[in-house]
Amino acid sequence: MTDRGGMPAGRPRRPLFQKYFAALFVAVVVPLLANGASEAWFGYGDQRIMLGQRLHAEADSAAGKIQAFLDDIADQLRWTVQLPWRDGSDEQHRFDVLRLMRQLPAVVEVMLIDGDGHERLHIARADPDVVNSGIDRSSEPAVGGARSRSIWYGPVTLYRGSEPHMSVAVAGPRSTNGVTVAVINLKLIWDVISAIHVGRSGDAFVLDASGRLVAHPDISLVLRGDDDPAAARLKDLQQMTMASGGETIVGRDAEDRSVIAAAAPIAGPEWLAFVEQPSSEAFAPLQAAIWRTALLLLVGLLFAAGLGYLLARRMTGPIKLLGTGAEQIGAGHFDHRIDIATGDELEGLAKQFNMMAVDLALSQERSERIARLKRFLAPQVAELVEGSDQEVLLDSHRAEVVAIFCDLRGFTSFSHAARPEEMMGLVQEYYEALGAIITRYEATLTCFMGDGLMLLLNAPVPCPEPALRAAQMAIEMQASIQVVISGWRERGHAIGFGMGLAKGTAIVGRIGYEGRSDYTAIGNVVNLASRICGAAEDGQILVDEVIAAEIGDALVLVPLGALMLRGFAEAVPIFSIGQASAGAVPLAAAG
Amino acid sequence: MVAALASLPAHRIFAQAGKIHRVGLAHIGAPGTSVLSPSMVSGFTKRGYVEGQNIEFERRAAEGKSDRLPGLIEDLVAKHVDVIITSSYPAALAAKEHASNTPVVVVFSGDPVATGLAASLAHPGGNITGVSEIAAELSAKRLAVLKEAVPRVKAVAVLWNADDFGMTLRYQAAEVEAKRTGMLIVPLGVHAPDDFDTAFAEMTKKPPDAILMVTDVLTTLNRKRVIDFAAEHQLPTIYEYANLVHDGGLLSYGPDQNAILDRAAGLADRILKGTKPADLPLELPSRFQLAVNLKTAKALGLSIPDSILVRADDVIE
Repeated sequence: MTDRGGMPAGRPRRPLFQKYFAALFVAVVVPLLANGASEAWFGYGDQRIMLGQRLHAEADSAAGKIQAFLDDIADQLRWTVQLPWRDGSDEQHRFDVLRLMRQLPAVVEVMLIDGDGHERLHIARADPDVVNSGIDRSSEPAVGGARSRSIWYGPVTLYRGSEPHMSVAVAGPRSTNGVTVAVINLKLIWDVISAIHVGRSGDAFVLDASGRLVAHPDISLVLRGDDDPAAARLKDLQQMTMASGGETIVGRDAEDRSVIAAAAPIAGPEWLAFVEQPSSEAFAPLQAAIWRTALLLLVGLLFAAGLGYLLARRMTGPIKLLGTGAEQIGAGHFDHRIDIATGDELEGLAKQFNMMAVDLALSQERSERIARLKRFLAPQVAELVEGSDQEVLLDSHRAEVVAIFCDLRGFTSFSHAARPEEMMGLVQEYYEALGAIITRYEATLTCFMGDGLMLLLNAPVPCPEPALRAAQMAIEMQASIQVVISGWRERGHAIGFGMGLAKGTAIVGRIGYEGRSDYTAIGNVVNLASRICGAAEDGQILVDEVIAAEIGDALVLVPLGALMLRGFAEAVPIFSIGQASAGAVPLAAAG
Repeated sequence: MVAALASLPAHRIFAQAGKIHRVGLAHIGAPGTSVLSPSMVSGFTKRGYVEGQNIEFERRAAEGKSDRLPGLIEDLVAKHVDVIITSSYPAALAAKEHASNTPVVVVFSGDPVATGLAASLAHPGGNITGVSEIAAELSAKRLAVLKEAVPRVKAVAVLWNADDFGMTLRYQAAEVEAKRTGMLIVPLGVHAPDDFDTAFAEMTKKPPDAILMVTDVLTTLNRKRVIDFAAEHQLPTIYEYANLVHDGGLLSYGPDQNAILDRAAGLADRILKGTKPADLPLELPSRFQLAVNLKTAKALGLSIPDSILVRADDVIE
């Protein structure tokens, strides 16, 4: 391919394919990425909210279960304060307590206090019953608390530094009914707490207001008492929950797992029920969603790459076809056609290329024809003939023409003596001198014959006053050649130049065969001109009487009388143009 | 609690499938009793273990001969058991002294804190954990239950294995309570099976109003003789565990034996799954059982008051 504008056409610096590919890829990927990212972001938010709601619901449910456990105990305790203390009611009260303890394994100790605040009965699972000890307990917080609020929850204490116990006190509807104080072994909440499962491996636990572990599925953890590092982590979770204002929090649980946790309050003892789920498990759907988005993005990227590639190819393919087409046409293959059927501007462009190829072919054909015409027509005449659809002028027909013959005298002897290059130099000089004049007078050159030539005027293109025009041309030619041959004569060559002109009717037209055709004239006038030329001396221009008559007074004509010319039955009147030549030889001698 | 344990997720139970765990069971008493009984195995079965498949038990019974215990413990250690479960204070003591680094779960050995086997309930220390008994206090409660069931009782003969420190503590607790309530204790400490004849002779010579038998391997092995003697001499009896009431005793009050074995299996399970014994506090029994045999009461011509029946968990009619 040729180098155009300094850029190699084969390897553009920034190929269209790359540009289209990049643009299409970006056009698909950017919205995809934006969509994927926003989906992941909002999806995360939604999932996080749902997770929080779910955990809070679980926490509420867990708190409700613990509450139910405590409420059940409180309800049963209230039965023991339904009756007032009267004489003989001791036994009844005692039976109430015994029944209650049989019902509730978590109650390890029950104390009945009468309306005056004195202890009437104390029953414990591990100790002998104490009846009517009469100890004044009216100032104890349990009694005061129960009387003012109907139910009172004591602080969680560790029995023997291990088992969490708590006192619960209830007061009767009337003050004479007294107060019942029960000690609850909170270890038995295990039944409730261990039955709570959150998700696959999440669970629940309970802390009191001070952060002490009250209940946990791992009973050993509860029994380990205070200052346990695992329990301390749970206390941290409580503080984080307080700090977050009740939102879900992410922290580390007793097993040192990363967990997400939510808490719900347990009214009464003012505990907090926590539910926790390992972060890995709780966030698994979230992570799955993110993975899904990432996978979709990847598929989208591949799709975009594929789409970009295909579209870019579709766009650059025709352009490449145009490129090779232009190359072919440039190389002269005008029959090359670019075949693009995309239905768009590129197809139009291809059609224009094809039309251009047709035009180029026509144009070349024409210039070739002109070149051929120029073989015998003056360039301007050739253009005229070719361009004006007047080729019919070249068809054979009868026409009134002026035939002009000229040749060198003494050329034959010169050609024998001279060296070939010297001779060719002379001939070249001779024709160059004549050619310029012939072209200027728009004469038709029919043929070269060694040192002579035959010209026509008024054919194929007519011209005004052909006789005069021919005579004037002849004068210029004679003058020009005389200058040339004077140089030759100085070099010792005896060379002369003569011309003969005749006007008459002749058949003119192209003769020859395909690719090699000449324009010529056939008729008496041609023979006549040839014979007149043969009769001309060096420096002479002889014309027949037709020309002489047409020239009239325009030029000086010297009648030389009638001459017998070969091939002519009668003598032909001949005239010489210019002043009568002194050296005019008799016509017979010329013959 | 038992039902809740059974509902533990299966993946936790089979977390260590593929490995065969080896559990040593050491008891001062006879084969087939206490930790050597099927109740112990069922505690493991419930937690996903199948004997011969993922767990093997090495059972060692000292047949009442406490001097054999150190050898038995050393034998279990030599067999590379993963955990040793002991029953009785002598077995627990032998394990503490001879089990070196092997974790030990103790049951039915009194109060390990009181006997010095462990530092505290929350942090037992060393390789020991297990289920403690609040048995010493319970001796007083038993006397009170006996007195309530049979109000005429004043003099109570206490039979206990005087060689077992844990049991002696229980006797002492009964003595303190008797003094407080104005009852009279007839101490009948035994050391060997032959001592029971001496005790029976004592009671025949000077009959008490009732018998309180402190339960350990020695007394359990001779329970039939005690029950028969009581029936023959029309003496009300109170024991620690319900199985003796089923055998013909009048009353029993004490922690639920099967629940204790279940907790022992639970602690051993935690150890098999990698928890250090030091992280497993000693547990206290949380369920207590009062058992009454009304047939025996009828034979003794006794009418058991409602205050006993209302709290009885186990009534044999």
